[in-house]
Amino acid sequence: MLRRLVSRKPASILLCLVAVIAIGLAALAQDSPAPFPTDVLIKNAVIMTATHGNIPNGSIYVKDGKIAAVGAKVFAPSGVTVIDAGGKYLTPGIIDSHSHIALDGDVNEATSPVTPHMMMIDAFDYHDKAIYHGLAGGVTTSLLLHGSANMIGGQAIVIKHKYGVNRDAMLFPGAPRSIKFASGENPKRVYGSRNQIPSTRMGNFAVQREALVQAQDYMREWDAYNTKVKSGDKDASPPKHDLKLDALADVLRGNVLVQIHCYRSDELLTEMAMAKEFGYKLRAFHHALEAYKIADQLAAANIGIATFADWWGYKEEAWDAIPWNAVLCMRKGVRVAIKSDSDDFARRLNQEAGKTMRYGGATEQEAVQMITINAAWIIGVDDKVGSIDVGKDADLVIWDGYPLSSSAVPSKVFIDGAVYFDRSLPGFAMPYYKEGM
Amino acid sequence: MNCSSHFGLRLFLLVAASLFVTSLAPAQQKTVALKGGKVLTVSHGTIENGVVLFENGIITAVGVAGSVQIPKNARIIDATGMTVYPGLIDSETSLGLTEISAVDMTNDLVEPSDEIMPHMHVYDAFHAESELIPVTRLNGITNAIVAPASRDTLPGQDSFIQLAGKSRDEYLLVRDIAMPLNFTGEQRRNERGEGRKFPSTRMGLAAQIRQAFLDAQDYAQKWSDYEKKKADYDKPTTDLVPAPDSSAKPADKDKGKKQPPNPPKRDLKLEALLPYLQGKKPIVLAAEESSDLQAAVSLAHEFNLKFILNHISHSQSVLDYVASLKVPVIVGPIYEAPKPEERFDAVYSLPAQLYKRGVKIVIASYDSHNARNLPYAAGFATGFGLPYDEALKAITLNAAEVWGVADKLGSLDPGKTANVVVSGGDPLDVKTAVKMVFINGNEIPMTSRQTRLRDEYSPH
Repeated sequence: MLRRLVSRKPASILLCLVAVIAIGLAALAQDSPAPFPTDVLIKNAVIMTATHGNIPNGSIYVKDGKIAAVGAKVFAPSGVTVIDAGGKYLTPGIIDSHSHIALDGDVNEATSPVTPHMMMIDAFDYHDKAIYHGLAGGVTTSLLLHGSANMIGGQAIVIKHKYGVNRDAMLFPGAPRSIKFASGENPKRVYGSRNQIPSTRMGNFAVQREALVQAQDYMREWDAYNTKVKSGDKDASPPKHDLKLDALADVLRGNVLVQIHCYRSDELLTEMAMAKEFGYKLRAFHHALEAYKIADQLAAANIGIATFADWWGYKEEAWDAIPWNAVLCMRKGVRVAIKSDSDDFARRLNQEAGKTMRYGGATEQEAVQMITINAAWIIGVDDKVGSIDVGKDADLVIWDGYPLSSSAVPSKVFIDGAVYFDRSLPGFAMPYYKEGM
Repeated sequence: MNCSSHFGLRLFLLVAASLFVTSLAPAQQKTVALKGGKVLTVSHGTIENGVVLFENGIITAVGVAGSVQIPKNARIIDATGMTVYPGLIDSETSLGLTEISAVDMTNDLVEPSDEIMPHMHVYDAFHAESELIPVTRLNGITNAIVAPASRDTLPGQDSFIQLAGKSRDEYLLVRDIAMPLNFTGEQRRNERGEGRKFPSTRMGLAAQIRQAFLDAQDYAQKWSDYEKKKADYDKPTTDLVPAPDSSAKPADKDKGKKQPPNPPKRDLKLEALLPYLQGKKPIVLAAEESSDLQAAVSLAHEFNLKFILNHISHSQSVLDYVASLKVPVIVGPIYEAPKPEERFDAVYSLPAQLYKRGVKIVIASYDSHNARNLPYAAGFATGFGLPYDEALKAITLNAAEVWGVADKLGSLDPGKTANVVVSGGDPLDVKTAVKMVFINGNEIPMTSRQTRLRDEYSPH
């Protein structure tokens, strides 16, 4: 956080300011109601912790929106609000590591294949009901990514699904920056259809490599300038700021998590080689439907995947997709998340995770991890959310039914300790939301 | 289209097709007894520790173990701990009409040159060797409706398939089983730009449909007039001629007779509409919003069409009206997004809401690649109040009844086709692995393009 605050890049300063504002004003949000109660004792739940097994008749004490205690018996001060889960299952809030909701179609600035300076925050449509629909499916955190028209699409935001609060209160405080890269059919189709480069995979990677070379030069100019300043050269004049290259220099410096849309195994390898060539790290491959073919290499490079449970065949590069991808990769040591990439799947990621138990035999906890802690790692917020552990945000879901089944439905969804969704309520089933807010 | 990129695909399809043919080739056991499983008959409850016996592709006995005499020559399969149920029926798919969605040359989904295309028959495009079919049947789906995509108001006629066979013709169980009439707003496609032409509104679409059925009525009349004239002409004219074996010369005989009537010119479009106009086959009437629904139903009533409803995803306000129509409803897809003003579960809960009102419901995947997930949609509906047995019926017996094939399919009863699934548990749950699938009594190899890739890349 500190490192990012002192960073020179306007983009990162903006994000950090937003995060600081979000922390400071969350409770004072202008168009949200009075501060929500965030101290609560939830008892009598089957707690699926995602990190240390199940607690059959467990309780969670939530204080100031954080998990203060979890176990078979927990201490909570008398007078705290008690919610009896009635023996139902309780999981961490679901984390969707690949979403395009709440962007009102502004997903691709498809006017140039390299647009790393496009900031998702500038397009964030926080009124979009898709945020609510995800919430009703148990999703509490989402990574809102750019589309895949461009080789380098832009910088993402991480949101919490606090539907009904103001825009900045919905941003995940302190979440690291992510940048979206893409490859394969989409960029070559988008630009190829206009008779522009890229129209082939060769063109794709040439465009990407060229941008990174420019960024290297740009970074060197700034490094030279900073060295001069440090050495007391008062006459040193700073290079001109270039938003595009600022963002890419941050990639090269390792200040941004790189999330790559990529399908074919050869392209996964090319992206890995390019990262090595330019000295940056990859956080995760998204879709990664052929990851099972090169799982060893992904594991060795500590690159995660955010993939579908069983989607396939919608385009040529999805033709080798198999529903065993997630578990085959996991067994090789790859960190695997199941993501939505769709308004629809975002409403039932629990079912999608359940499929990994049937295709390849993921254990219950492994299946839960694919939509919680592993997804949190991909986004870089696994120290704050993604499991039921003391000190983490109280983002929790109480389920009607067994969560990893076709028929499960969230009963209550907590974010930072407050109930944002309660199925038993009439209307939209949201305690703090009224239509027209 | 890049030719070289498709060479691999074509080669693979060829190899796969040959694999498929040989995989079904080994002689199948004629008599099979599935013994000891939990049998979900669908028609008459659950039998714990049951036996399902089939011979020559037909179910011959279903009952509690011990009560069923198992012939000596039977192949006995121990189904202890397994769940046994009838093959699932998907009431709307585009199986066999698409291979890779984004690759146009593999798609034969709909003919969009005109809105009125009732003479399109999906069996003319149905590709039995599609890689999607083994993928789908491995999840226990044994039968499906193949429908053209919904871009036209009258896009053509559905076929009812089984998901296995030695040849294409064995897949195509019932050709032209029904005809979709789509009135969802999606078919209104000429409203913008220079291509603006009739019909560009719902009014235009309705008028166009109305005209088509009126033309078909006229066409039917012409043919009926012709048939009458022809019958008159063919009838021996005994009143004029004393005896058929009259010795009169042929020239004399024809003197008192009219010229033979000329048949009307055949019109494939209008001809295709006739069985529906005559109520011999059902129209699948698709609408989403309540306004479109009522407009579509009015149209159907105007021409006395026999119909079943499809979708009605955003017609929550008129469910009593829907029930009053006394027709079955293919409901969904239940994953259809709610409108901004709707509650999160407005569409999820539709199957339950319709069932409560006494409507016969059917659940479909409306998919191709993901048709295998049909049972999960039914399972999801149970999370929103649909009783479990009704959810299972919605993808078995109800579907068979709606499509007029319940004498052969949809439940485990003697006399029916042996389309039987053996799985590790609840058929509607995402965690359940299907272990065996029988179609026509033949054990289906549990392989697909996807299992082959899995095995190729699995650690050994």
